[in-house]
Amino acid sequence: MSTTTKKNGYTSLGSKITYDPEQKFDNKKMRHYSDGKTFVLHCHHYATLFTQLACDAEDMGGTTLLAEAGRETFGEVLSDYYQKHDIKELPDRIAIAEQYFSFVGMGKIEFNFAKNDGFAIMEKSHVDEGWKKKWGNNETPINWMGVGYIQAVWGSVFGKDPAKCTVKETQSIVCGASNSRFSISW
Amino acid sequence: MAIDRNKVINDLSQLKVRGDNNGLIPAFGVLVQQLPANFWNGFSEKILDAAGDDLADAAEGLLENAAAECGYHTGYGIITSEEFNSVVGPMIEEKPEDILHGAYGVFTAWGWANAEITELVPGEKMVVRAYDYYEADVKNPKRPFAYMIRGVSRAFMDLAYSKPYPDGFGKFACEQTKAIEKGDKFAEFVVTKA
Repeated sequence: MSTTTKKNGYTSLGSKITYDPEQKFDNKKMRHYSDGKTFVLHCHHYATLFTQLACDAEDMGGTTLLAEAGRETFGEVLSDYYQKHDIKELPDRIAIAEQYFSFVGMGKIEFNFAKNDGFAIMEKSHVDEGWKKKWGNNETPINWMGVGYIQAVWGSVFGKDPAKCTVKETQSIVCGASNSRFSISW
Repeated sequence: MAIDRNKVINDLSQLKVRGDNNGLIPAFGVLVQQLPANFWNGFSEKILDAAGDDLADAAEGLLENAAAECGYHTGYGIITSEEFNSVVGPMIEEKPEDILHGAYGVFTAWGWANAEITELVPGEKMVVRAYDYYEADVKNPKRPFAYMIRGVSRAFMDLAYSKPYPDGFGKFACEQTKAIEKGDKFAEFVVTKA
């Protein structure tokens, strides 16, 4: 990714922070915890079939609901992490959001926020790669989990209501592009 | 039964995974991600609420099928993996029954559910009991909510007793007969031929 995308606005550039979750296995409940939250391993078949279910249920707002689930879940994860580690600087907050995305296997993402808008570039995406492995390319973007994640990041980084952030996937790996791009506005 | 369930859980629960340089986790022949359970529960609750009573059966079927495909493909990757063979392999005396018991050790070690087989009629029927599972965290569902355990359990029976992978999917069905999320002390799942 070109560093020219990072010259303006708020990015992770300059941050030296490292995402370092506290992970443990509770051998009484038999659950894995990361910073106190139950987490679970699932494969790309699961993620893509959830995504397909959301797309098929579009008449009842399926894709919005999938994004909403991501927005709520990841917003809580990031906000709690910032609070626990007293992370206040914007580059550090953005860096944690980028590192978390990769740590949990969702792919590779970078954010660039300006005063009133921004964008995210996803060089790799679990959902897109998984969809392509399972069904091949798709005519339209499908990464509604990613949309929710980006909304969560905006809300957590700036301390705002993530539902007020509009995210649109403008270019998509699953459609054949080399990376996915998302416009962000609020 | 030759499988030392505690050893399987103890050994395999210690495995730590994280994204590679691309932020992806390729493992067991699939891509894996480790997300908060709330995400999966949250979407399931939302889509079932949106579906309402009229479309509940269809939505539940799709949630269960997502888990079944996950269980079938990832399950195959797991039981043919180096990790499984090194930990569970030496304990296997009877195939595929011991493999099935070992698979539920992995199921537990990975945090999907603290679950074990309580009854197994080879090729015909399996009863699974779960003492804790993340889908039980959902508050006041209208119906039993463990779609993931249902789907994965029938997929495991397919792997054990249907045609060899990848041609044996969908020959078994699973019903959840008890549910912690509905007030039972444990959950129970009965898998029989479809």
